[in-house]
Amino acid sequence: MESAASALGPAAQPAKVRLFHPGLTLPFVLIVLCFAAWGAAANLTDVLVGVFRRIFDMSNFQSSLVQFAYYGAYFLLAIPAAFLNRRFGFKAGVLVGLGLAAVGGMLFIPASELLVYEFFLLALFVLAAGLSILETSANPLAIAMGPEESATQRLNLAQAFNPVGANIGVLLGAVLILPGLTSEASKTIMTPEEVRQSQEADLSLVLGPYVGIAIVLVVIWLLILRSRMDTPAPPVSELDDADSGTLGRLWHNHHYRYGVAAQFFNVAAQVCAWTFTILYAQDVVGLSVEAAGWYLQASLILFLVSRFAMTYLLGIFRPTLLLLIMAVLGVGFCSVAMFSQNIVGLCAVVAISLSLSLMFPTIYGVALKGLGEDAKFGAAGLVMAILGGATIPLLHGALMDQIGAALAFVVPGVCLAFVALYALFDLRTTRAATAQAPQGGAS
Amino acid sequence: MRRLGAVALTVAVSLGLAACAETEPEPEPVTVGLIIKQDENPFFVEIREVAQDTADELDAELLTAAGRSDVDNASQVAALERMSSAGAEGILITPADSRAIVPAIERARAAGVTVIALDTPTEPESAVDAVFATDNRLAGELVGRYARARAEQDELEPQIALLDLAPGITSGELRRAGFLAGFGIREGDPRVVGSVDTEGDETKGRVGMRRLLERTPGINVVYAVNEPAAFGAIAALEAAGKDADDVLLVTVDGGCQAMKEGIRAGDIDATSQQYPENMGREGVEAIVRNTRGGEPPAGYLNTGVELIAAEPAPGVDSRDEAFGTRNCWG
Repeated sequence: MESAASALGPAAQPAKVRLFHPGLTLPFVLIVLCFAAWGAAANLTDVLVGVFRRIFDMSNFQSSLVQFAYYGAYFLLAIPAAFLNRRFGFKAGVLVGLGLAAVGGMLFIPASELLVYEFFLLALFVLAAGLSILETSANPLAIAMGPEESATQRLNLAQAFNPVGANIGVLLGAVLILPGLTSEASKTIMTPEEVRQSQEADLSLVLGPYVGIAIVLVVIWLLILRSRMDTPAPPVSELDDADSGTLGRLWHNHHYRYGVAAQFFNVAAQVCAWTFTILYAQDVVGLSVEAAGWYLQASLILFLVSRFAMTYLLGIFRPTLLLLIMAVLGVGFCSVAMFSQNIVGLCAVVAISLSLSLMFPTIYGVALKGLGEDAKFGAAGLVMAILGGATIPLLHGALMDQIGAALAFVVPGVCLAFVALYALFDLRTTRAATAQAPQGGAS
Repeated sequence: MRRLGAVALTVAVSLGLAACAETEPEPEPVTVGLIIKQDENPFFVEIREVAQDTADELDAELLTAAGRSDVDNASQVAALERMSSAGAEGILITPADSRAIVPAIERARAAGVTVIALDTPTEPESAVDAVFATDNRLAGELVGRYARARAEQDELEPQIALLDLAPGITSGELRRAGFLAGFGIREGDPRVVGSVDTEGDETKGRVGMRRLLERTPGINVVYAVNEPAAFGAIAALEAAGKDADDVLLVTVDGGCQAMKEGIRAGDIDATSQQYPENMGREGVEAIVRNTRGGEPPAGYLNTGVELIAAEPAPGVDSRDEAFGTRNCWG
């Protein structure tokens, strides 16, 4: 998942504005590492769904609980993290987030000793809870590390390392976990004791990358703890800022209200597409699990490259027109995945990432456009749309158990159709004039 | 001072690791031979590929050879002699002719070579040290049980057609016997309305099925000894205007074509999937283990069989088509 802050578009910068306050270059580098770390952890989790299904021989619905635990924690911890930052400051928030995430990574050790799936879900929940706090703290901390004039540039620079981390996460899974897994065919002739030994061996493969990430987080934690970060105090919380009329105004603003729904479906489509790419490659095309991992890697690379291309195209086309085209294209890719049950369908699954690449920042910008001061509170609602990533993959997994891996791609297809409807709504309606410039930059 | 300590610690750890690396003994060199029937059939290609991967993992050398067809005994005899001379400690063979290959195997064993038959037993079975193969009777029994449960569920009056392999071929006979046992009937049961030999060939399966349908148009349960014969039956059933829903078709093998074009399409209701990868891996591991001081391979190892069904039948455990596709060969 990406951060809401990535929606901040480029802004004109006065010449020779410093990027960081004096002495904060090294701390900024450490914060950048945090951005990469949560990208790696999030997308390594996409690999885990198929891995756990194989190790524990469970249904797709059961294995999808991995994403429920991960994104559920992100959703639940977002607001407490904001209060934590307000009470103790961004640095404390970053340290708590890093520490909790490291604990989550380390919890993989007892989980793999006990061979209990639910313990892994707990470990993932704790890891994601920490990363949620980290993300909530690191974004404003990055902004606060330099002059206001270069805030967007600084944040975009830090955000650029998130997809790099995401690719590293999948690479870790593709190289360190997937090739070493015990084959299902070999398990058909194993004794219960041999199956248990194979589970231990496979879970030790899962353990490595997570403990590795935890160690990196601990190192970053120590370095941040020791570094001076003289940044301004956190501003008044967006939530505290909201007067009683804010909620009502937001609710009656259709562009915002539908925008939250569109973001929910966009996040859902993204998590579904990436979570079930490996399973599609195995169950529909019959590829080996290690070959399947490379298709997920291709999805993320396509996403990254497309993001740059979309930035260029957004300068030419109206954002919601491009959003409409990409969403309809996404629905088309899902349809191909459903009915062309072969390598073409798999390529269509990969291509969904092309249409996803512009959605988060575009919906973010369109939904907040013209909200003025209400945008601060409204932004929180859009970030909490991450709930789509926790819930809809469960539906996808359950449907997959009933109708198969290919037809279950109707789920991201419907999600993207809702995004298309939102784009169409924006194109066909006019907004009331507002006094203040838009907060988001994508539109 | 602290930096000095860190350097000392690094050096100590490096030396420790180097010492560990030096004490790691070199694995004893092992040469394993693999002789398959032919190298175009995906079943045997799967055995060869997995055997190669396993040999690489175990630091063993793999020599491979293949006949020109499923019945090319002469090439297998020559390969056995060549690999024995080359110093192979063990040879894995999928016999093209279960009887004719025996003298060559006996010569190899007399020279101290361990021989394991993969997929097809020799006659006599004791001609080799061990047999690693699918339990063909169980394979037939699983689809027989499934067919019976589905027939009861659909309230069919079973009229059964059997598409067999050929007389005297053990694997085919075992599958047929297993099917009948699984269905709960004996040889000569009036519910079996006819049977033909297909030699596991698609064309012969189609021709045989057409003849059976001409004699008994009401056939509603078909057992085919393997998937090519099943595809032949499907073609004949379609030509006779029968829909996939009209006939319950079960078979044995577990190849990828059957998963994607048979089970997924609903034309094949169930198949017993066998695992050539287990034959290749277990075979190489057994030879390497034996050469490096472990237990010598002996007796029979069941290399696994799972029932793959398009839709589950009441009271019969089965795996879905996705599992079959993930683990299919070819």
